[in-house]
Amino acid sequence: MIMPNIELYAANVIPKEEYAVSGHRACQGCAEILAVRLALKALGRDTILTMATGCMEIVSTPFPTTDWKLPWIHVAFENAAAVASGVDIGLKILMKKGKVKKSDINIVAIGGDGGTSDIGLQSLSGAFERYHKFIYICVDNEAYMNTGVQRSSSTPFGAMTTTSPPGKLSMGQPTWKKNMVKIAVAHNIPYVATACPSYPFDLIEKVKKAKMADGPAYLHILSVCPTGWRTASDLSIRYGRLAVESGVFPLYEVENGTYRLSLNPEPLRPVTDYFKGQGRFRHLTDEYIDKIQKRTIKEWEDLKTLCGVK
Amino acid sequence: MTGNAAIAEAAIRAGCRCYFGYPITPQNELTEYMAAHLSRREGCAFIQAESEISAVNMVYGASVAGARAMTSSSSPGISLKQEGISYLAACQLPSVIVNMSRGGPGLGSISASQSDYFQSTRGGGHGDYRTIVLAPASVQELADLTRRAFELADKYLIPVIILGDGMLGQMMEPVEFKHEAPSALPVRAGALRGAKGRHSRFVRTFTSNPAELEEVNWSLFRRYQLIQKQEASCENYLTEDAALVVTAFGIAARIAKGAIKQARALGLRVGMFRPVTLWPFPSEQLKELSKRAKYFLDFEMNMGQMIDDVRLALEGGGDVSFYGRPGGVIPNPTEVLRVITRVYHQKGLNQ
Repeated sequence: MIMPNIELYAANVIPKEEYAVSGHRACQGCAEILAVRLALKALGRDTILTMATGCMEIVSTPFPTTDWKLPWIHVAFENAAAVASGVDIGLKILMKKGKVKKSDINIVAIGGDGGTSDIGLQSLSGAFERYHKFIYICVDNEAYMNTGVQRSSSTPFGAMTTTSPPGKLSMGQPTWKKNMVKIAVAHNIPYVATACPSYPFDLIEKVKKAKMADGPAYLHILSVCPTGWRTASDLSIRYGRLAVESGVFPLYEVENGTYRLSLNPEPLRPVTDYFKGQGRFRHLTDEYIDKIQKRTIKEWEDLKTLCGVK
Repeated sequence: MTGNAAIAEAAIRAGCRCYFGYPITPQNELTEYMAAHLSRREGCAFIQAESEISAVNMVYGASVAGARAMTSSSSPGISLKQEGISYLAACQLPSVIVNMSRGGPGLGSISASQSDYFQSTRGGGHGDYRTIVLAPASVQELADLTRRAFELADKYLIPVIILGDGMLGQMMEPVEFKHEAPSALPVRAGALRGAKGRHSRFVRTFTSNPAELEEVNWSLFRRYQLIQKQEASCENYLTEDAALVVTAFGIAARIAKGAIKQARALGLRVGMFRPVTLWPFPSEQLKELSKRAKYFLDFEMNMGQMIDDVRLALEGGGDVSFYGRPGGVIPNPTEVLRVITRVYHQKGLNQ
């Protein structure tokens, strides 16, 4: 389905250099740090990172240590894209004046799902609209994990978090996951894609494409979070795959408005395969699972139509 | 019960039926408690907003509709809420904002700090306004002052800030909830509740006529004067015979108390003056105290913010030393004792 005999030529496909090195404090089985590590491999040395508050910021830079080998700046929750805009403008002016040598520097803003789909949406939309040449990576672990698992607008329907507790009057998260990809596409930016570190080659390819884009690029990366999802920490890669194979998180890209499916997992697995073993979905009744299953299939069919897949 | 949970429980008991939060350490337990308890009850609303700005403006909306509403955050989040607080003050809408403060500036740390004193007591946002600021020093007091905050907000139509800190929020102590029935929700004349059968009301903060705005500011000022006269409160601890008085608020006062007990055991005549309301600052009471004691040691977990108010209250009538620990470092009573002893001897109070 992806590549046979990976071990034979993986070393040639994935750059050897590491930019997010060991020494961070991410939880055991964190797929988010893996996603960032893979993405940075594709970006290379000439990169500036602006990072919103969140898991990746907290685990990577407990003062005075850091695991970044790249220029990196942290900013409040809502402003990663705004700071990236500033970096872009600042460098442009300095290059114009000849104070900085003209070169292609990747400007990358990274935020979590809360920092992207909730509080950071305004500055992200502004940066897309102004058409800065930068890459925005949303590492989506589907809740505010850093502060202790509170719901975000990216939390899937029905999931248990500390601020969407299931009980008599509630069945966990009451709203459907916000579709950030559609929001990004609506800004008419040249490159938008979804990815998952369970599919590393696909992820790296997409980061490379984002790098080549002539304008803003948006990557939405699903990152399994054993702590918040209440899953076993050795199963993160499997859950990423199950999310894709059940159609809950399809992998696709949108280049200049043209949709393309990266991977067709049909026939889809039932969502229960994906839910099984996740503590956050444990309370769901058949009625709710059925509701989610129907919605997942509908969204998948809609996406297939957009991608022109029969 | 943890401090954060005590605030939440006290707020519900005080009749708060609308809570709007947003995650930030170290006040998440408060939001989580509200999520668990308010979403379970009929006629209650819990919303986790998409940002702090939205959360405080939801309070603005709920309050203008006449409901009892509250939000909470910690230092960086409170900075975002300042715009909303300024609007709440301008429209004279009762509301309660909890700040379980942490180290700063910037994202700072998640450890307890008192660096938000200026921001809380000087208005904080734009415009010439004040908010009542309550500074509890124990979990019991967090519960009591939360109740008090809602009463004051309703009485003076003003946003009230509860300035705690990360340590108070996280620590566990036994709590007794004294008041059972919440006070009746006052029906405010200005509340927006539809215009069926009468003229519509409107609430605004903008006027292009400076004279009109001056009158608004005057009326606010008159109310602030009234609050200053009636609501300033403080705690005096062993100040009757004290030669040296430690001034401290919140958790710093708690630490100082431990140090003072040790100092008393050593035979040093030390007491403590603790403002419970940071605004209005109990200046009269401190001035009164300075008739008996001439030497003061201001102890804060910042680099000297309340010391300004202490000096202003004393009007030159006392000698003020300072001990501060910024950045979320929490000193232990022995460290404070060391400073107390040093100042005590330097000023020749042991003779």
